Amino acid sequence: MAEQPPNQFQAVSNEDVVHHKSKRRDKKNATDAMHLNLTSMIDVIFLLLIYFVITASFAVGEGVITANLPRGSGPAEEDEPPKRPITIEVTTVGTADARINVIGFNDPPRNFKQLAQFLMVHQKNPNKNRHGHYLPDNPVIIQPDGQVRWQHVVNAFNAAVKAQYTNISFAQVGPSG
Amino acid sequence: MSSKVHKRGATCPDMNMTPLIDVVFQLIIFFMLVNNIISEEAVQMIVPKLDDPKVIELDEGNRLTINIVPEEYDGDRYELDDKLAVSGFSDRVRLGSQLEFTFENLHEMVSHLEDAVKKNPKVEIILRADAATHYEIVQPVMEAITGAGISRVNLMAFLPNEGPDMRGKDN
Repeated sequence: MAEQPPNQFQAVSNEDVVHHKSKRRDKKNATDAMHLNLTSMIDVIFLLLIYFVITASFAVGEGVITANLPRGSGPAEEDEPPKRPITIEVTTVGTADARINVIGFNDPPRNFKQLAQFLMVHQKNPNKNRHGHYLPDNPVIIQPDGQVRWQHVVNAFNAAVKAQYTNISFAQVGPSG
Repeated sequence: MSSKVHKRGATCPDMNMTPLIDVVFQLIIFFMLVNNIISEEAVQMIVPKLDDPKVIELDEGNRLTINIVPEEYDGDRYELDDKLAVSGFSDRVRLGSQLEFTFENLHEMVSHLEDAVKKNPKVEIILRADAATHYEIVQPVMEAITGAGISRVNLMAFLPNEGPDMRGKDN
């Protein structure tokens, strides 16, 4: 009699433990089922990411200068001949170099920085304290020969823009200079 | 008590991947969109690099890019000392991302440009040509642009302090 109650008690407690254990296992199974396995998805997404990173070809660091071209097609209109245009000749030297010549001036600028300086010096612009002969809206014509690289043409154009001329145009190709 | 400790040990190695996936998705979407925007200008070339440039960045909207597709150069041009020491010829012009024209039928480009301006009068034309292109190649294209009644053209060049050195010393 003295042993029975503890036995009974033990039996009951054993049962209880087993029951409790199974309950806990169920719960654990339930939480496991809630988890999605994301590893494979992440693999795929990373591959996609790497693909797009590699194929993206950026036009890095490019900007624009705005040019106003004369309207209409065909040769440059001659209906309103400019009073005294500044004509900047750009000629090829060797394969890829260029020489600058400003028509009507003896000592031409040797590079495009000097060209910008030159154009500034000859500009009449009281706001900027410049006392040259040419107003900012005086026509500036850039006249490259056909073989001149685009680099030099845009450089000449940039120099004129920097000197704050507003009426800059490009000449036709041809032996007109 | 012991079961609690066990539970904590089991959940700890689980990383929460959700924010990571969020970020990575954002990156993917970014690169996809950027790819589309940029493919329009994807013609490989080296645009002019200027002395002391007055170049501005243009915002994305209303752009129409005209690329003068340069003749292909065998090898890596960026390894040349003088980036201009290539042929400088071109046989075709690309308008936007799809239309291509040869120099013989540039007049077709004129009508396309006229349509584009009619559709969107605020469109900004961008002329993108390689630094080594000869002027006689670019000039007909400019003429075609003016022929469509467009007087405002944006010439593409490198921004200050960007782009490769064109040569050891300039002039």
